[in-house]
This record gives sequence, C-alpha cells and structure tokens, in this order.
Amino acid sequence: MSPRIWFLRIVSILAYIFLWAPVIVIIVFSFSANKFGIRWEGFTMQWYYKLLENEAVWDACIRSLVIASVTVVVSTALGTLTAYGLYKLKFRGKMLLRTSILLPIVMPEVVTASALLVFFIKATPLTLGYPTIIIAHIVFSTPLAVFVILGRMQRVDWAWEEAAMDLGATRIRAFRRVIGPVLLPGIAGAAALIFPWSFDDFVITYFVAGIGNTTLPVYIFSQLRHGSSPVVNVIGTLFILFTLASLLLFMLVEKRSRAKGM
Amino acid sequence: MPDHIKPLEKDSKVRKLSGEQTGKSLVPELVKYLGPIILVQLVFVLAPLAIILLFSLLKTGAYGKIIYAFTLDNYVKLIDGGYGMVFLKSFFYAVQTNFMCILISYPLAYYIARYGKRWKMFFIFMIIIPSWTAYIVRLYALKTLVGSNGLINSWLMGFGLIDAPIQFLYTPLAVSVGLVYTWLPFMVLPLFAAMEGLDSSMWEAAEDLGATPFRRFVRITLPLTRGGLLAGTILVMIPALGDWLVPHLLGGSKVMMAGMVVAHKFTTTGDIPAGSCMATALASILLLVLYFVIKWGGREALEQSL
Repeated sequence: MSPRIWFLRIVSILAYIFLWAPVIVIIVFSFSANKFGIRWEGFTMQWYYKLLENEAVWDACIRSLVIASVTVVVSTALGTLTAYGLYKLKFRGKMLLRTSILLPIVMPEVVTASALLVFFIKATPLTLGYPTIIIAHIVFSTPLAVFVILGRMQRVDWAWEEAAMDLGATRIRAFRRVIGPVLLPGIAGAAALIFPWSFDDFVITYFVAGIGNTTLPVYIFSQLRHGSSPVVNVIGTLFILFTLASLLLFMLVEKRSRAKGM
Repeated sequence: MPDHIKPLEKDSKVRKLSGEQTGKSLVPELVKYLGPIILVQLVFVLAPLAIILLFSLLKTGAYGKIIYAFTLDNYVKLIDGGYGMVFLKSFFYAVQTNFMCILISYPLAYYIARYGKRWKMFFIFMIIIPSWTAYIVRLYALKTLVGSNGLINSWLMGFGLIDAPIQFLYTPLAVSVGLVYTWLPFMVLPLFAAMEGLDSSMWEAAEDLGATPFRRFVRITLPLTRGGLLAGTILVMIPALGDWLVPHLLGGSKVMMAGMVVAHKFTTTGDIPAGSCMATALASILLLVLYFVIKWGGREALEQSL
C-alpha cells in the first residue's frame, strides 16, 4: 500500500473516532454504576429503571411524540402536494418559490426561531404552547418532505399517469390509483426522516414553547446546567437508538422502492 | 429534469395529458397544488421575517417594553456597541469551521468513495447517524468526554501525563472543536455524493499519466465536486455562523457568537427590538452567502443533499 492510501486511511479513522467517541462514551456510561455518569464503575441497569419512574421525562417524551406525529402527518401531506405541483407545473417564479421553501432549513435556527417567536406573540392571538410548537415544526419540516419527495418523483415513470388519464381517469384518480402507490415508498421515506427531525429539534422548540411545555430535547437542556448525569446518558442513548431505527426504516423503504424498479 | 430533451411540438391533447399546463388552465392548477405551500410560506416564513425586520426598527423602553417609534438605534448599537466584533468573530469561526470541515471531508469522502468497496454503505451510514442525532445530545456527549473531570482528563492523569485536569471546556478552542464536531457530517455527505457519481478511471488515467496527487486533486477532484463543496458550505457555514448551543455549552460565557447573542436577547433579557435587529443582521449575511453559493451553482447539489 502506498503511503498516500495510508494517509487517507488514517485521516478517515481519526474522523470516525472524532465523530463517534463521545457518543460511544455516553452509551457505555449509561450502564455505569458511577452516579455522576462520568466514569466506569461496574455494570448496572439501574439508570434505565430510574428513567421509567421519572415522570418529568415521560411527560416530555409524550409531548415530543405528539408534536412529531402531528408534524409528520401535516408536513408529509403538504410536502407531497407541493412536490407534485413543483414537478408538474411550469410557471414564472418557480425558482423563487423553491428558494423560499428552502429558507427555513438553510437559515440559522436562531433566526427562524426568533422570527417565529416575535410573529406568534406580536401578530397572532396564539399563546405559546402546542399550537405554536406544531406550526413551527411544520414550517421547518415541510421543506424536507418537499425535496425528498421531489427527488423521488424524478425517478417515477410518468407514462403510467398519462396512460391512466388517456383511459379517462381524472388527475386525482390517476394519482390515487397509479402514481400515489408508486410514490408511496418515497412518501413513507420522507415521513421516516421527518419524525426524528421534529422529535430532535431543540432551538426552535425552546423559543416558541413558552413556559412549562418541555419536550425531551428541552428537558435535556434543562438538565445540562447540573453537568453530566447517568439519566441524561440514558436519554442520550435512547435518542441515538431512535435515530438509528428511523434511518434503518428509511433505508429499508428506499431499498424496497429501488427493488420495485424505480 | 430532462425538460430540454422533450419533443418541442406537441398537440394540445398530449400537452394536457402529460400535465404541462399552459395559459388559462394554469392558475387553478397552481392554486390547487401550490396554494397551500404559498400560503404557509407567506404567513409563516416571510411574514415572520418581515416582522423581525419591523421590530428591529423600534425602540426598547424600561423593562423591555417596546416603544412604537422608528429608530435606527439598534443597528447603530450593533455596529459600535461591541456587537460588531461579535459578528466578525462569528464569521471568523464559521469560515474556520468550514475550512476545517473541508480539510477533513475531502480525504474522508474520497477514501469512502474510492476504497470503501462493499463497506461503502456502512461507512456512509456511520456519517449519516451523527448528522441525524439530536445535536444537543451530541454536544452533551462531547462535553461529558472533555470536561475537567471527564474521561480524557482522568486518563491523562491516570497515565501521569498531567498533574491537574486540563481546562479545555469554556475556551475558544473548545468552541472551534465543537463546531467542527457538530457540522462535519454535513460536509462529508454532499462531498461523498458528488464523488460517488464520478468515474474512478479518470483518477487512474491521471495517475498513469504521471499527475501528482496534488495536481489530480486540483485538476480533477475539485472542479468535479464543486457542487458538493458549495452545498456542504451552505450546510456547514450558515448554521455554524448562527450557532447558539456550541458557544453556550462549550464556550460558557467566555466566547460570544452572534447566534448566542440573539438567543440571549430573546430568552433571557426579552429585548425584542435588539434581538430582532441582530437576527435580521444574521439573516442578511446568510442571504448574501446563499445568493453567491446559488449563483455559483450550488442549488442543485443542495436540494439533492437533503
């Protein structure tokens, strides 16, 4: 092997260590008996049992799940409709619309967050809580759905739609019976990505949540001022497993749709 | 979209069937499919931005009370009230982060794309997972590892290399490292996507013809991965510029960055006009960066890397 390949290999290994070491450390320490969660003092599952009894965590977790579920449904539906329109229609200002749709995800989170916060408290009668959190999550999740589904639409054989419409199906019916089912894996994939995207968000949620509406990431933040703790290690571990599961689901759906010949 | 290769002339029936709408029928279709998103964009994206722009021009009275009178005070304060330096410093951190990420990502993405073989998907998966894990969790993990009684310090002391824990947290270096740690995956992924599409025989040909690695990089890799590089730059530099948690958690109050000041104004002092002014300034810098990157051809790569 040439030294050049060794150089590439060493840089890569160091990069993986850099990305993964901290994460692996908290996973390992979530099983450590040390009560500050910062060193290894023998195996225990007690922090996992402690978590089950922790009502604040349950409360935050349920709130996060409700918000993510609503966000997934609305954003995926809106995203599908939008992607269809963007793919099918040609009009002036399309590029402008596409750029505008990208804005909420390319902007630094604090900008989106503060703009939404001022908007909610000064221009709407809404009180900070579920409605504002959910609207904010839909705002930053929909772009993701639009572009994931749009990417999938480029792989669809649109002749099927033409054939269906040629045989007298309306556009809606053609979508429901022909294109919809073909696109379904792409739509499901988008949903699998949006769920953790919404569930994990901290910055925007923290701004628009108001007092007492703690989601799981906000709970972690509130615990951070006490330094490291085994319970946070456990929550962190579960977050990583949850991300892993969502991504595996996404890839499974993706693989299926490739196998179907898309 | 291969629009340009479609036949030029079509009769109206074909046009209608293939969904290319023209003239009058376009408007109802637009309303039907794009009406909802346009509404969402106008109400929840553009209006909020317009509102912070408006509030940035108002005065703050005692106890954070807003006085509805036009003023440019906030912007004046932004420039000569010390916050100008904060913005400049944030910009420096963002550029530095972007540069470090590029430096690490090129060899890494190249290695995976060319030598990953059947482990390629696994290697990439190991980059995607951190990019999707809640970033507050990753920062917490980093903090646990490098804290003054964290693992690294206790190992170093255990081996007798140091006598007292190294104070790494709450230093500018911690912020630099934290920013690269947080945003690195977002540079690797678009660069890998760009390289994956390339035919490796090009490098082999260049190698055979005696091009040095440096020359191969400058003449082949760099020009052909420009889109990925630009997309990565948007995904790394902009969030790094406005990052709040990294300077907050790793820098303590020692390192000020623009995103942190914005967050502080809104979540702690409740000074809406001043906070709005800074958020607006941050958004304008971002729009400028975005404009140039899209102009140089990063849009497609950006949309695809999502």
